[in-house]
Amino acid sequence: MTTYAERTVTPAGTRSVAKANKGRLFVKWITSTDHKTIGYLYLMTSFAWFLVAGVLALFLRAELARPGMQFFSNEQYNQIFTMHGTIMLLMFATPLFVGFANVIMPLQIGAADVAFPRLNMLSYWLYLFGGAMAFGGFLSPGGAASFGWTAYAPLANSQYSPGIGGDLWVIGLAISGIGTILGGVNFITTIFTMRAPGMTMFRMSIFSWNVLLTSILVLLAFPPLAAAFLGLESDRIFGSHIFDPANGGAMLWQHLFWFFGHPEVYILALPFFGIATEILPVFSRKPIFGYKGLIAATIAISALSVSVWAHHMFASGQVLLPFFSFMTFLIGVPTGVKFFNWIGTMWRGSVSFETPMLWVMGFLITFLMGGLTGIILASPPLDFAVSASYFVVAHFHYVLFGTVVFAMFAGFYFWWPKMTGHMLNERLGKIHFWTLFFGFHLTFLVQHWLGIKGFPRRYADYLATDGFTNLNTISTIGSGLLALSMIPFFINVWISRNSPKVTVDDPWGYGASLEWATSCPPPRHNFTSMPRIRSERPAFDLHYPHIKTEGH
Amino acid sequence: MRLKPTRPFPKTALASAVVLLSMISLTSCSTSNISGLGFEKNLSSVNDTSLSLWQGAWIAAGVVGLFTLILILWPVFRHRRKGDEVPRQTQYNVPTEIAYTLIPFLIVAVLFYFTAKDESKITKVTPSSVAVHNIAVNAIQWSWQFTYSDVPNAPKITGTPEIPPVLVVPQGEKVRFTLTSTDVVHGFWIPAFMIQMQNLPGVTNHLEFTANKLGEFPGRCNILCGRNHSQMLFKVKVVSPSDYQTYISTVKAA
Repeated sequence: MTTYAERTVTPAGTRSVAKANKGRLFVKWITSTDHKTIGYLYLMTSFAWFLVAGVLALFLRAELARPGMQFFSNEQYNQIFTMHGTIMLLMFATPLFVGFANVIMPLQIGAADVAFPRLNMLSYWLYLFGGAMAFGGFLSPGGAASFGWTAYAPLANSQYSPGIGGDLWVIGLAISGIGTILGGVNFITTIFTMRAPGMTMFRMSIFSWNVLLTSILVLLAFPPLAAAFLGLESDRIFGSHIFDPANGGAMLWQHLFWFFGHPEVYILALPFFGIATEILPVFSRKPIFGYKGLIAATIAISALSVSVWAHHMFASGQVLLPFFSFMTFLIGVPTGVKFFNWIGTMWRGSVSFETPMLWVMGFLITFLMGGLTGIILASPPLDFAVSASYFVVAHFHYVLFGTVVFAMFAGFYFWWPKMTGHMLNERLGKIHFWTLFFGFHLTFLVQHWLGIKGFPRRYADYLATDGFTNLNTISTIGSGLLALSMIPFFINVWISRNSPKVTVDDPWGYGASLEWATSCPPPRHNFTSMPRIRSERPAFDLHYPHIKTEGH
Repeated sequence: MRLKPTRPFPKTALASAVVLLSMISLTSCSTSNISGLGFEKNLSSVNDTSLSLWQGAWIAAGVVGLFTLILILWPVFRHRRKGDEVPRQTQYNVPTEIAYTLIPFLIVAVLFYFTAKDESKITKVTPSSVAVHNIAVNAIQWSWQFTYSDVPNAPKITGTPEIPPVLVVPQGEKVRFTLTSTDVVHGFWIPAFMIQMQNLPGVTNHLEFTANKLGEFPGRCNILCGRNHSQMLFKVKVVSPSDYQTYISTVKAA
């Protein structure tokens, strides 16, 4: 509660004082209930996992570069891709949403903190230890879980996958999942009860809307997953028969898992769509085009996302194909609407390409391609041709990497001054972007052809006669480029400490939502004064009171 | 286009857009078979049905993708910041919004119509009593068991990860497959035939198709099934109907 006062007491501390305070700073961070601090912890931890899982991906690509097993055994390879997928989805992308939501959403709705600050910190600890537990399987004698992040029954039971690594994975993720559920509860309560006076639902920024809808999806998707995990663990250690194939357990698991798994895709996508939607208007100097239609589209996506899960199971022969196919096609419509909202925002704007905007363009183009292959896969006859192949691997990397990673960097470059008080370097940011963009497309574009040629996903090896070698080699080279693109980012973050302090509320000049109406970084309880909120662009109205919005 | 010399970036953007566009267009022509977009015509009854859908869907995706890409890149080049002016703050345009909701809906409705039509053809299975040929495909960690159940004493071929088994099918005649699994979930996939189906423990799945062309085609398990998943291969050998009869009787004798 006294943090803000402390900041003013020691404004010009010398280096030695800062050093002596490191321990205190550490304690302050790990005991904080400030949504921003907890958000930074989430962002840093999830980014660290992104790097870990990225290194695992490089291991996978190294092994696949040539036919034959060069570096790992089959079992080690299975462990590596299992943990790559698990970390990327549940320990990187999901908590990354929680991180951005924590830092930005209370600022955007004009709240002093989230509704349950201590619960917020508890969520973080559940995530941190749950994640560490799942990864800790690598230290166990049998190694980490190796049944894929989808953990299909009965492969994931104690008969086919014995070893403590699997148990650590199941329970670690269940614990981490509870943290995510609590985060969702926190965000929903915050948005419904703590908006500033004047901040009606239809004046809320799109990012905050998407945090709300994502949190609702979290409450729909994560409890079934937690239940499935506890059932699986009960099978593994108590010998129960919940997922016994004799009782239809193989299909039961697929249904439960994908009932979580598909909304999860939108849990990962929506917040990052939100980030893109925040950035486009600022660098186009226009309001978001079709604000209410965009919210309607997001609600439609959220609703449809819980009725498409069985498109992951088309080839199981046990699901109603026309229904799930139609629903999947249908979800393409509101997604298309979003594209036109984004394009409409830039249309006849005054568009400029500072790094955040550049990353958003990378997101638009990459996600467009992922969306189109998604339409192909929504058709069961075409799914039968390429499902569970590298075509699908390419598809979901275009969708997820395109959304999560591109929009994450967009958000980092965009809100870096808001979070740290310093700007990131533009030139390094552009080098970072272009290296990553080409690295990504080189890695994953060719994987579409690998899938069409018949290379199944999760294969540790292939034959020299299969004709997969050249494309795999290209993909591996691309992954090296992708990895190298992180170097300019690290340099950028490191040197940004010494870049000049941001002294204005809105360094980009045309910010619309409330976070641009407070200092960089914001004070302990976010606002020293609250502007009048009379539209969805309170900060813009504050800075440009004479400019009118048209087209109502 | 008037670009200020102080901005070197647009050229890079233009160049990359050209590269990306050519990458996309290559999607349709760098594979060996241009017309099939990666798949061959007439290989199986599934290809007969799915290939035109595959081509049509890619044409639709290509057109929609290109159109959207142009719309994305248009303001990037044409509506770039020129001075410090603030553009008109347009927020809504209802006719446009209705159009961009309805048109995608119509596109997916058409795609769904063709999907539903083809999918019911592919998943149709005749009852075993009237089926011409019956082959049981059982999956085990980490290989396949093929049982030719039409002949008495039903010969069973069991492969190993080291020696993948051969699935012999008659050319031009419908085969009804019964898919099961002894242990975990496996995936019965013949990429060239555009078909796959899961082998589920505790569940019996059925699949029916006709192989049209003589030759050998790789088959692979595509659902993760444990340590030697990537060795769970098989080969489909399409032979003439008379050779097929000879084969199943010889195997029986063996």
